[in-house]
Amino acid sequence: MSAAASSSQGGAEGGTHPPGEEEQGESSAYYECNICLDTAKDPVVSMCGHLFCWPCLHQWLETRPNRQMCPVCKAGIGKDKVVPIYGRGCTKPQDPREKMPPRPHGQRPEPENAGGIFPGFGFGDGGFHMSFGIGAFPFGMFASTFNFNDGRPGPPPPASPQHAEEQFLSKFFIWVAVLFIFWLLIA
Amino acid sequence: MANIAEARIKREFKEVVKSEEVAKCHIKVELVNDTFTELRGEIAGPPDTPYEGGNFILEIKIPDTYPFNPPKVKFVTKIWHPNISSVTGAICLDILKDQWAAAMTLRTVLLSLQALLAAAEPDDPQDAVVAKQYKENPKIFQDTAKHWTHVYAGGPNRTPELDAKVAQLSGMGFDANKVRVALSSHSWDAERATEYLIS
Repeated sequence: MSAAASSSQGGAEGGTHPPGEEEQGESSAYYECNICLDTAKDPVVSMCGHLFCWPCLHQWLETRPNRQMCPVCKAGIGKDKVVPIYGRGCTKPQDPREKMPPRPHGQRPEPENAGGIFPGFGFGDGGFHMSFGIGAFPFGMFASTFNFNDGRPGPPPPASPQHAEEQFLSKFFIWVAVLFIFWLLIA
Repeated sequence: MANIAEARIKREFKEVVKSEEVAKCHIKVELVNDTFTELRGEIAGPPDTPYEGGNFILEIKIPDTYPFNPPKVKFVTKIWHPNISSVTGAICLDILKDQWAAAMTLRTVLLSLQALLAAAEPDDPQDAVVAKQYKENPKIFQDTAKHWTHVYAGGPNRTPELDAKVAQLSGMGFDANKVRVALSSHSWDAERATEYLIS
């Protein structure tokens, strides 16, 4: 079934745009990207001879990371298996594969834990998150100290009021922690 | 909708409208609204099949990620086919799922569906009842498919004896569509179909 579709697609390209028969606009059909069907921008050609815009092909490869195949003929394809095309008109030949910034990957941040266990325990809306548990307090403290890159909002920019506030709060809690440990030692 | 999806549908639309299959009235695509997210397709039943002479309407929904993901297609016209649900019209076709490729178009999808009507794949069924009948009782399958094509897709009436059976049971106060499903699923055995309808 899929083979039939591919071959009929190929047949249409050859059949409906015969060379020189239509007006000049039709000749550009030979240089259409097989994905967006527009004239290929930043063109690359696959080993199987199919032309694409690099942005289009890149998105296709991103969509199916574990099944990298040519959208036209399903031959193997990949970033290192396509050839960039440099026409005479292009003044500054640059590999489109390098020029095209890899599209940012989708991110799945953790849902904001609004309220949580202590609804009244917030520190305003400044995005300050403190995650210590009472029971395992020292470990909780380490956890909150070493939890880098866990999807929380980043620190506010320096010199903003929130920054000063957070600096104050973090110093305050460090002192509370030190006093608590000291009390544990002497008690 | 993402720009690339809309731009592509517009281009494909022109392609289908001027393609030769349209000239021969084999496939057709129409807009449902102005946003190009929903389309209405139409395919003719292929010759030398039970679907010959019928016109089958399809609902086509274009996702935002088109053409990187396939369009969502289902039959609006009721059809008796192993790979198409006789209840919902859902289609089991690889290119509408994991075998989709970004170079495929509405035109190739419609042609593939037409090809599916001509060559069913009973080992990968969408409708298990139909697939079983297709494999175990091809003659009854053919007649049932012809009958459904006549009733729902405007095909020629080639199975008057089946019409009579439907009429007989609907005369007992059952809904004609339900009677048709019951008879079709029970090899047109009026007794078993009636039992099924009552239960």
